[in-house]
Amino acid sequence: MIGSRIRGGALLCTLFLVGTGLLAAAEIALSDFARAIQSIPVSDIQRVLTAIESGLAQEDFPAPQTLQWIERLAASPFSAQEKESLLLHTVIALENGLPVDGLVTKGLEGLARAVGAPKIEQSLKQRLILLGETRDLLIAKGIFSVAPGSPQAVATALPTPRFNLLVTHISGTVADYLEGGGSPFEGETLYREVRSRLLSLEGAILVPEDVDLALKRIEPADLTRMALCAVT
Amino acid sequence: MRSNELDDILREALRQEVAERSSALAGLQEHVVAELGDRRPRLRLSDWFRQLVAPSRGGRIGQVCVVGGTAAVCLLFGFFVATRLAPDPGAPALRLSPSRNPDGTQEVVFVLPALNATNVSVVGTFNSWEPTALSDEDQDGIWMASIPLPPGRYEYAFVIDGRWWGQDPLADEYVRSFGEYSSVRYVGRGGDGA
Repeated sequence: MIGSRIRGGALLCTLFLVGTGLLAAAEIALSDFARAIQSIPVSDIQRVLTAIESGLAQEDFPAPQTLQWIERLAASPFSAQEKESLLLHTVIALENGLPVDGLVTKGLEGLARAVGAPKIEQSLKQRLILLGETRDLLIAKGIFSVAPGSPQAVATALPTPRFNLLVTHISGTVADYLEGGGSPFEGETLYREVRSRLLSLEGAILVPEDVDLALKRIEPADLTRMALCAVT
Repeated sequence: MRSNELDDILREALRQEVAERSSALAGLQEHVVAELGDRRPRLRLSDWFRQLVAPSRGGRIGQVCVVGGTAAVCLLFGFFVATRLAPDPGAPALRLSPSRNPDGTQEVVFVLPALNATNVSVVGTFNSWEPTALSDEDQDGIWMASIPLPPGRYEYAFVIDGRWWGQDPLADEYVRSFGEYSSVRYVGRGGDGA
């Protein structure tokens, strides 16, 4: 009897703690970011906060991971200048309305692997360029984003989270390919890589129509041009 | 009489002899075969066994011993493996096939054989590259963790006693990241990844 009460109490406590933790995770505020950024510190904190505020307004902004990225960056052994330089890539992406998942996870990986700041910066810089190039490429191909909830006038106007997923995974594939030593001139290989990744995610997180649309409109030469922009 | 003349006489005599008896030789081959066919002994099971164990067939006994011994070893090995792999009713089942949770996540099993390791964890995009420990409860050197993940693409690596190992044999693909390998799992597409 007593044992079952203890077990019941423990279960309630666990549920309470988990619930509190989930609530805390869900309610990451700008002040949390401000606190973390102050410990770097950065030269223009207002610019960083404005960018993060715009990110927080986005439906698909990875707030917990971005906060972790800033906190771990602040705790890293890099100089303040290096930390700010690394953080700046995320800030620029947010300022330009680009999805930052790929940048944040790559930065966290670099810190976890304990690689030097220049290596992380090189990777982030390449990925930031590719994010912008991919977004521009999709728009040039007539695929663009509309705010979630807005009427979808044409089939090629995708809600922003769906559009951002395409941008993230197309640019991420090209970035991985280049980081793995692939040649930017191998347009056909690049296209196969992109196709393989999009099809692997089709139905899981990517809408099949979006994948079909992107694969029909993007050409190997487009990816070569994008890759060249990232390496030059 | 010279020898050549004698040879000619003998050859002629033989030719005449063969010519006279040639009619008797016709059909001789068919006749012999028919006779042998009727006399062919039928091999019964007892005869076969007698042949097998006959002292003059020592080589066959050796063959029987080898084949029998091999079969016995195979049977013993099969029995041993079956008892080792049979699920323990009290132990949690190892699920390598995906199982979907009510919240839409899937239990993704990470398994790594690391016989002499003391600490194994997995780091990846799903845990912000912070270690999630793998366990080896039965101390057999097979480390395992089951992590619920929503559908998506996940890069990861194992950390074995502080050393990163990014080539999981169960991965869907591999990427090079910061000069090292990372494994990749796709969760939520057609049942793989978990």
